[in-house]
Amino acid sequence: MSQLAAGIRSRGVVNSIRLPIAYAVGNAAAVASRVSGRGSGASIKGALMMRIYPGYFKELLVGKRIGVISGTNGKTTTTHLLTAALRASVADPRDVVTNADGANLREGVVSAMSTRPKAPIAILEVDEQVVPDVIAYGHPEVLIMLNFSRDQLDRHHEINALGKKWRKALIAAGEQGPTVVANAKDPLVTWSAEAARKVIWVDMSTGWTQDAALCPQCGTILEYDCAGHWNCPGCPLGEHQPDYRVEGGEVIEADGERWPLDLQVPGRFNQGNAACALAAAVEMGVYEPIALRGMRTVQAPAGRFAIGSYGDTRARLVLAKNPAGWAESLLVMATDPVILAVDSAIADGTDVSWMWDVEYEKLRGRRVIATGPRATDLALRLSYAEVEHEVIPDMAEALKGPFKGTVDVLSTYSAFLRLCHMGGVELK
Amino acid sequence: MTHKIVVVYQSLLGIYGDRGNAMVLVKRLVWRGIDAELIMVEPGDPVPDDGLIYLLGGGEDWAQIAAVKALEEDRGLHRGLDAGGVLFAVCAGYQLCGHSFTVGDNDEVFAGLGLLDVETRRGDQRAVGEILTQWTKPDGSMSLITGFENHGGFTKLGSDATPLAKVAVGVGNGSDGFDGALQDQVVAAYPHGPILPRNPELADYLLERALGVQLDRLPRPDVNAEHDQLRAERIRIVRTTKNRAEQTR
Repeated sequence: MSQLAAGIRSRGVVNSIRLPIAYAVGNAAAVASRVSGRGSGASIKGALMMRIYPGYFKELLVGKRIGVISGTNGKTTTTHLLTAALRASVADPRDVVTNADGANLREGVVSAMSTRPKAPIAILEVDEQVVPDVIAYGHPEVLIMLNFSRDQLDRHHEINALGKKWRKALIAAGEQGPTVVANAKDPLVTWSAEAARKVIWVDMSTGWTQDAALCPQCGTILEYDCAGHWNCPGCPLGEHQPDYRVEGGEVIEADGERWPLDLQVPGRFNQGNAACALAAAVEMGVYEPIALRGMRTVQAPAGRFAIGSYGDTRARLVLAKNPAGWAESLLVMATDPVILAVDSAIADGTDVSWMWDVEYEKLRGRRVIATGPRATDLALRLSYAEVEHEVIPDMAEALKGPFKGTVDVLSTYSAFLRLCHMGGVELK
Repeated sequence: MTHKIVVVYQSLLGIYGDRGNAMVLVKRLVWRGIDAELIMVEPGDPVPDDGLIYLLGGGEDWAQIAAVKALEEDRGLHRGLDAGGVLFAVCAGYQLCGHSFTVGDNDEVFAGLGLLDVETRRGDQRAVGEILTQWTKPDGSMSLITGFENHGGFTKLGSDATPLAKVAVGVGNGSDGFDGALQDQVVAAYPHGPILPRNPELADYLLERALGVQLDRLPRPDVNAEHDQLRAERIRIVRTTKNRAEQTR
């Protein structure tokens, strides 16, 4: 005990020297990164702070009320929704810190929390690979598990391995572990979440099942009925009765209570995300009407659905990172023409074979402008989908127009970041 | 008569957009005025035994085993090949056509379909990135095949199988300097997903072989030009990049 106390004291001395340096260096780097248009600067700031003061990640997590959001798609928007719900319920909104810019590795988390180290509540978007560490060191109260789908297979290879890691972390945390808010429609999420101390099941009513053919527990081919419910014929794993579900723009609780969402962010996937955020907010003690009041203020989470300006052109920016994301996002593309921007930088995945899983056929009858570094790949895909298109590889050129009114732009991650920068959209 | 292009078990073996190969085959027939349809078959449904071309794509370890089991029980694919159908198998689909392959953390060995005289074992490192190979067609003419590979298994060919193409950049089979294999009615390669959009000559070769006729050039100059441009881009990039996995994009 006394050894521990001594340890803390001596670290305290190091703190007093290192922390101010870490802050100063980190902030300078963040400004440089923002100016150069590489992103919010949070990751580089956090990385430098952790170099100067390695214990910071663990230390910042201790002693806070923490809500964590992870999964393949919807993390950033869900994080904004849950943050808004909690901020609506506290006296000073600054008491809730969050990594609003979507920088979700250790560096981004450190950077976000360091903006107000004493804030009692942290709502954190966390990369799938970092979740086990956050469970172990941060003891979050709530963990939202949205979905697992194929994303950057050139880096992650197999999604089952991720689910296994989450499950292990939850088992290791035992009674200290978080309450998990889990997407009941996702078999891999279900299998991982079942290891948690307490689970709140949410039926997000989204339809992507292409990545969930086999039972994650026993390898048997899963059965889907016509209503989209899944079940494993080989072992007891199956879809749970939801505690919350989404229907017709409302969230319905198990006792029948209905909450109209009236969100500003579009798309049925965001209604599912909102149901998870609401469930997590309630679990953290927020009264539903107050949570919803906050959630309805969310407009453009980290640039998603924001309107950028490009000379005379105004463009609504939508992000899709993988086939599941593209399938859902194509549904909110409303304009004619519509612009599709594809890159294949490391953050997008270098392999663009996913394009052939996206039903671009849905755009038939509309004109598509294909842009970005992989516009040629996209053009050929559109030809085979028999969608009329034009290829303008340079994104600034593609946005020149003229267009009638706002034009919708759907893009991969790197292309999206560049479009935000070019269009004066802030990543927060 | 409507020709059937059959995607076998998309939910198990289609994680890399492999359905794209089927779309290309169907459209290249239809655009030439030849009737064709895309058939998707899932485990439990019978695999039609009158397919023109069958396709097996990329998938995760345990999906391979589920697919082998379902195909052995169904036997429709075997009957289809006996009847003159052609099978084009890529990535995990290639591996499961062999005598055996390994899966999982402990490299358990599982029996494959035995349609190819090949064996697959885990390689010393995962092969990820753009790949470029040189393919010599049966008439002696040569063509480059461009694609993206992502596999942990390396494949050794027995005497009954012939390699498909010589590796210029990348890993391919991993042991012999070649990529893929040919044997009877089966054509196999490591590059997954949209290998045919990048290689329309390979697509037409499969169609010609299955139909037993020579096809004219595709009467779509716009599409031909897009194929040419995509090929030129990918071939330039794979040739000029040092770190394949990180920079071939």
